[in-house]
Amino acid sequence: MGTVHARSLDPLPMQGPELGVHADDIEAPDIEQHPNQEILENKDVVVQKVHIDGLGRTKEDLLTYEIAEVFRAKNLIDVMRRSHEARQKLLRLGIFRKVEVVIDTSRGEDALPNGLDVTFEVIELRRMTGSYNTMVGNNEGSMVLGVKLPNVLGRAEKMTFQFSYGTKETSYGLSFFKPQPGHFERNITLNAYNVTGQFPWSSLRETDRGISGEFSFPLWKTSQTLKWEGVWRELGCLARTASFAVREESGHSLKSSLSHAMVIDTRNSSIIPKKGGLLKIHQELAGYTGGDASFLKEDFEIQLNKTLFWDSVLSASMWGGLLLPIGEKPTSIADRFYLGGPTSIRGFSMYSMGPQSEGDYLGGEAYWAGGLHLYTPLPFRPGKGGFGDLFRTHFFLNAGNLCNLNYGEGPRAHLKKLAECIRWSYGLGIVLRLGNIARLELNYCIPMGVQSGDRICDGFQFGAGIRFL
Amino acid sequence: MSLAADAFVSQISAAEPWPENATLYQPLKEDQILLSDCASSLAVQAYLRMCGLPVQVVCRANAEYMSPSGKIPFIHVGNQVVSELGPIVQFTKAKGHSLSDGLDDVQRAEMKAYMELVNNMLLTAELYIQWCDDATATEISRPRYSNPYSWPLSNILAYQKQWEVRRKMNAIGWGGKNLEQVYEDVSQCCQALSQRLGTQPYFFNKQPTELDALVFGHLFTILTTRLTSAELAERIKSNSNLLSFCRRIEQTYFEDKSS
Repeated sequence: MGTVHARSLDPLPMQGPELGVHADDIEAPDIEQHPNQEILENKDVVVQKVHIDGLGRTKEDLLTYEIAEVFRAKNLIDVMRRSHEARQKLLRLGIFRKVEVVIDTSRGEDALPNGLDVTFEVIELRRMTGSYNTMVGNNEGSMVLGVKLPNVLGRAEKMTFQFSYGTKETSYGLSFFKPQPGHFERNITLNAYNVTGQFPWSSLRETDRGISGEFSFPLWKTSQTLKWEGVWRELGCLARTASFAVREESGHSLKSSLSHAMVIDTRNSSIIPKKGGLLKIHQELAGYTGGDASFLKEDFEIQLNKTLFWDSVLSASMWGGLLLPIGEKPTSIADRFYLGGPTSIRGFSMYSMGPQSEGDYLGGEAYWAGGLHLYTPLPFRPGKGGFGDLFRTHFFLNAGNLCNLNYGEGPRAHLKKLAECIRWSYGLGIVLRLGNIARLELNYCIPMGVQSGDRICDGFQFGAGIRFL
Repeated sequence: MSLAADAFVSQISAAEPWPENATLYQPLKEDQILLSDCASSLAVQAYLRMCGLPVQVVCRANAEYMSPSGKIPFIHVGNQVVSELGPIVQFTKAKGHSLSDGLDDVQRAEMKAYMELVNNMLLTAELYIQWCDDATATEISRPRYSNPYSWPLSNILAYQKQWEVRRKMNAIGWGGKNLEQVYEDVSQCCQALSQRLGTQPYFFNKQPTELDALVFGHLFTILTTRLTSAELAERIKSNSNLLSFCRRIEQTYFEDKSS
């Protein structure tokens, strides 16, 4: 029996859980059945030993969980399949640069005639990796430095530090991630950050300094996240010309909130999916654990995708949210919802619809938005099978509304308010997929149902983002 | 805020008359405002009353952060926001209301010099006592300043403010002073003011000016605010003409309006 190398796969991208490792580009391998293997298939084998070569700072107990299944294999195909699964599990930990599997017959004194040894040859990631990029956006250029310490304590823990130095603002964040050994999806993340953002549509500048801790775990087909967050928020006007309504919101506040998120994602890709659906429900309760912001915030996101003829995909999505203040204090401009722009209701300027004061958008306490997209390959399919597959043409119809609710009126009046004066738009454009995390769009949009005060973007609109309606 | 922009603001504001709904913003009167802010706010209120311009006083916990310069008080007139006495005087002047038009150049220069004296001595002394005297900072300033906020933000903001003021004191050379020296400075300032006032009803005889508003704002607030020690008020009380000056302005501009 010879040596079988199972390295048919490209290594998984070495990205952390914050980007979400999507298995969409990595299809399960079809194990080719060569004629000479057919003889071996029926032969019962026993996995006697599993070696892991190349371990440095990784603790072995972590890996025993990941490779335990290999010992249960009964025949050679089973060994290969389970070894392959174990390899994928090892790569998913994000601590190895390369994992190779070598299956060989057992040698030595206690070797059984049908015994096999499986060897995982791994190369660990460096103790520290760094990244450097530049970003341009929001009339601001910034330089982002990132330092990552994968496997910092030897059990797939990860420490990340990001520092962004911009022409206007400086932000930084430190995060620590620890999975439970053997259950990678069950993990905790701790964060500390200082983030400053400028929101020209509201003439608002916000500095958030906060700490958070979250616990993620899978439950049935869902992924659940429980989180506590404490943020010291400092709001200020971007310019002296800011409206008085924004000026009134200036100052410090402390938000301490508990939140829960549930996600079911059966899509094959998060950026331009071909099939599957997404359901995301997020709820946040602030004020009961301290702080001076008190509210209950609920929002949801649904997306369904279906492949039609000629590789075209029909995608329907729906978003909605509600923010209920608790107590006497009105909601803060930093907590309210915003709608409009190339990533939500196309044809309107970024977050430029709904309640406003002197041209500064104040956000709303309730919103809904729906989108219907038809994605098709590029006409005449240039660059098919290569670069051209990153592009799609799409036709879209978006609609939505954003408003404030007067809580004396009752739920029926609220629904009526949301159904009145609906903003909608339609058009077509080109979508470019950037890796598996972002996409760019260039659309020709025709906004409709424009209300006074809304800022529109009639004609061509460019958009970039990671979350799209 | 650049000078050009300031000039522009006063240009465009000149066209509009003083509205009925002008508002003055200051921190919460009962639980939050500190001596120095209260004095500055009272000075502006006195000035506007002397000009006969109606203004409604509104207390907001975040007044300091709403203010375009970060200083108390500020007024919201029409769609304009102006903070601190100096710019507010400029602003009302652009609207055609001025108290110092009757003065000649020498008097005006003298008025400005005395206003600088009050700001440099009285205001700085108030800030020193509030934030650099440990007893006052611990018992009064920090708890009051952070009153609207919840823990731990309250502590962070109070210490941040204290640190900021102490740094400023070091920068202007007050960091090395002790309390007695500060009281002595206040005494000298009050003596200078007392001598300038003499037996006149106002600093420039019959008509009040912004200097009178500023002096009244600070002296009246010091006299009526309870601190850990009454020493500061005592230093003022030794100048009897300043006391009657305060009483006169209070009776003329504050009691008549309220009754």
